Amino acid sequence: MNFIDRFVAGWAKYRKPGYYEDFDYAWTMTIDLDRSSGCGACVTACQAENNIPIVGEEELRKGREMQWIRIERYWEGEYPNAKLKFIPMLCQHCDAAPCETVCPVSATYHNQDGLNTQIYNRCIGTRSCAVYCPYEVRYFNYYDHHWDAPLEQQLNPDVTVREKGVMEKCTFCVQRIRQAKDHAKDDGRRRLRDGDVQPACVQSCPTEALNFGDRKDSSSKVYRSMHDPRAYHVLEELNTLPSVVYLKKVETHAD
Amino acid sequence: MSSNALGLFGDPVSALAAAGTLKDAGFARPELMSPIPIHGVEEVLGPKKSVIRRFTLFGAIFGGLGGFALAAGTAVLYVHPTGGRPIITFPPFLIITYEMTILFGILATVLGFLISARFPAIRERVYAPETAVDKFAVTVTCDNEDTFSRAAAILRAAGAEEVRNIREGE
Amino acid sequence: MPTEEKPLQFADVNNDIVRSLVVTGRNYYITLGIAMFVALACFFFPWFYQLYYGIGAAGMNHPTVWGTYLASFIFWIGLSHSGTLLSCVLHITNSEWRKAMYRSAEAMTLFSLLVAATMVMVHVGRPWFIHWAAPYPNQMGLWPNFKSPLLFDVMAITTYLTGSLIFIYMGSIPDFAAVRDRTSGWRRHLYVLLSLGWRGTDTEWHRLGWAYTFLAVLIIPLAVSVHSIVSWDFAMSIVPGLHQTIFAPYFVVGAIYSGTAGIVTVMFVLRKYMNFEHLITQLHFDNLGKLLLFLSLLWTYINMLELFTGWYSGTSAEYEQIKYKLTGFYAPLYWEMILFCAVAPLLMFSTKFRTSFVPMLVLSIAINIGMYTERFLIIATTLSRQYLPDAWGVYVPSLVEISILVGSLAVFVTLFLIFVKIFPSVSIYEVKETMPQPRKREASLES
Repeated sequence: MNFIDRFVAGWAKYRKPGYYEDFDYAWTMTIDLDRSSGCGACVTACQAENNIPIVGEEELRKGREMQWIRIERYWEGEYPNAKLKFIPMLCQHCDAAPCETVCPVSATYHNQDGLNTQIYNRCIGTRSCAVYCPYEVRYFNYYDHHWDAPLEQQLNPDVTVREKGVMEKCTFCVQRIRQAKDHAKDDGRRRLRDGDVQPACVQSCPTEALNFGDRKDSSSKVYRSMHDPRAYHVLEELNTLPSVVYLKKVETHAD
Repeated sequence: MSSNALGLFGDPVSALAAAGTLKDAGFARPELMSPIPIHGVEEVLGPKKSVIRRFTLFGAIFGGLGGFALAAGTAVLYVHPTGGRPIITFPPFLIITYEMTILFGILATVLGFLISARFPAIRERVYAPETAVDKFAVTVTCDNEDTFSRAAAILRAAGAEEVRNIREGE
Repeated sequence: MPTEEKPLQFADVNNDIVRSLVVTGRNYYITLGIAMFVALACFFFPWFYQLYYGIGAAGMNHPTVWGTYLASFIFWIGLSHSGTLLSCVLHITNSEWRKAMYRSAEAMTLFSLLVAATMVMVHVGRPWFIHWAAPYPNQMGLWPNFKSPLLFDVMAITTYLTGSLIFIYMGSIPDFAAVRDRTSGWRRHLYVLLSLGWRGTDTEWHRLGWAYTFLAVLIIPLAVSVHSIVSWDFAMSIVPGLHQTIFAPYFVVGAIYSGTAGIVTVMFVLRKYMNFEHLITQLHFDNLGKLLLFLSLLWTYINMLELFTGWYSGTSAEYEQIKYKLTGFYAPLYWEMILFCAVAPLLMFSTKFRTSFVPMLVLSIAINIGMYTERFLIIATTLSRQYLPDAWGVYVPSLVEISILVGSLAVFVTLFLIFVKIFPSVSIYEVKETMPQPRKREASLES
């Protein structure tokens, strides 16, 4: 019977651990902390590309910032030997994402590209995904936002504007991935090549500290970066299997 | 039109004795009405079988299987891989199964109770409002005047404060 | 009203209960009016404001996305625990002293669950879609995610609500029959319907006894599982402070603890304002006090365990959590919680304290304040300090949240006040079972 077949097939396909390795793509981002200057161009580009609301000064003071990618800053030492360390933090698109299992309405799930997607239409705003995320990269729309004229003309028509009560986070610019896949289909190619798609943050980084690609493609830049000896994952011990690889900054002892 | 002899007693022991005497005298099953459950009824009037047990069991089994089928079936109907976990997993689905087992066990128990106690009562049944306060009543169905007077005599001999003739079913 | 010379008679119990239902003084209407007004002004009005403007009206922010709404939710579910759970356990163990108070305790359970369900709707960002969490076939072909702890919540709370409603109703059927005979008008119609034609025959008692026992046996594991499942909303995360296996027992113990304290409060109020002095006595308060003391010691132990494991881990996120709890921004609240829930209940070692009504009332209210603080702290301290220090933040509840908390209490009081006028708030037949049974007399008539 049709349902029984579907049942058995579904159970079999998703049974073994690591079934996500068989998905179409495995989008990965590498962030080279040696090259990152903390300029924040990625943050601005993301805000422009994804219609991220400008929350305003009062909301910011209450702690409700909206940045899908944020530059975390850590100070070490005291003046005059103070050192600033920073790390761009964005949704890690974990293969074993803790946020996905907890959504009661399945508004977040792992799609066939290996992306952790957020479905705005389905979200009812329980905010448990934000609690479960150890990287705290999920942001909630506490209000309906509006853009003062003429800023609304800058909004990206490929991306929805989220209403209040909905959770959002970095999507690896899924609208660009989708567009690149469409172009690849038009060109008769079935598979995306390295460099076909770049999220806004990767595109805007002046030092090329951010790289983006498919780690299943062994000729891609990210594949090489991933296997650099400096490569690590943030909070690796939690076994979330993130898709963002950081390259450790080499400390200089010139002082 | 059957009539019922109803005897009111002031304490449960005499009411129970009267019911026993009526049963021994050949009357069809006498009924005891009381504001609190009377102890020792089964010794005098015979054991009672409760079919509620079976309702609970089948309800719980149905709930258990149904709960798992709900969780596992819907997981396959619209496949949503989450968290790298298999789409049909036991730890969360066992919890759903557990809750549904208890829910349907509870609902089946209620159904069993209603069916075996013949609730809700659609037609009027033999009743004396005093039995909800502090009196104990024994009632028995009588076919004709003779049986009624025999029943009344037995009740009075057992110490009934009052004997009534109630016609059932209107 | 029975005098001191004559002991309580069966008929007096019926009289008392019917009187409590039918005779309504001015005080009752005033209290009900105040409760409804506070509920409207403090609960519904701010909630609609929040629905219109967004969750931003509350004080939650980026790291602390959960706040008092969820703390209130857990608090109300916790309060719901003692009613039905206690009632079922004491029924199974055939204990006598539960009989006078368990009806109101079960009502407390029911209304706490209803208020808790409302708190979920207040908490959620888009409550007009909350029905998506229910499994029903729809044109989208979508089903809720059964792997989610929040969905275990939905299932568990639905089951518990249904079970509690059925349990309190089943136990009340004979009482509805008793009051049906003595009332008139709309009340009589209502009680005729609700009593299902109960006559009190031996068959009916037998069936009721079996059904009631089965329900009690089913509800005990259910109640334990409900609060465990609520705790797993937190414990199934991987963030520090929340990802602890102690959470399920911790929450269950905390729920029974705060629920029992809630029963003490409700018993005091019922006793005083419904004139049940002879039905609810020092014995009840003594026993409840012993139970509260035991639970408070257990709760203290679990808290000490939490501190111990955090400290034992050395330098880690868990240790940071403990330090933050004890000395951080919320430290005054933490120490207040310890004072009210661990230190003050030690007073109940003294029998004199346990059998004094007003001190027990004050202590029970203090315990509940402390337990609310505990739920609040679980959310606020753990979300404020997680793995990445850059994302640390502090959360202060806004006026809207505090108002909704107060309003939820008013909603509960309103529901309870309506309950005491419709349901017999003390179980007539069970109280009669604890009284000396009528005996055969030589003189036949008894008035």
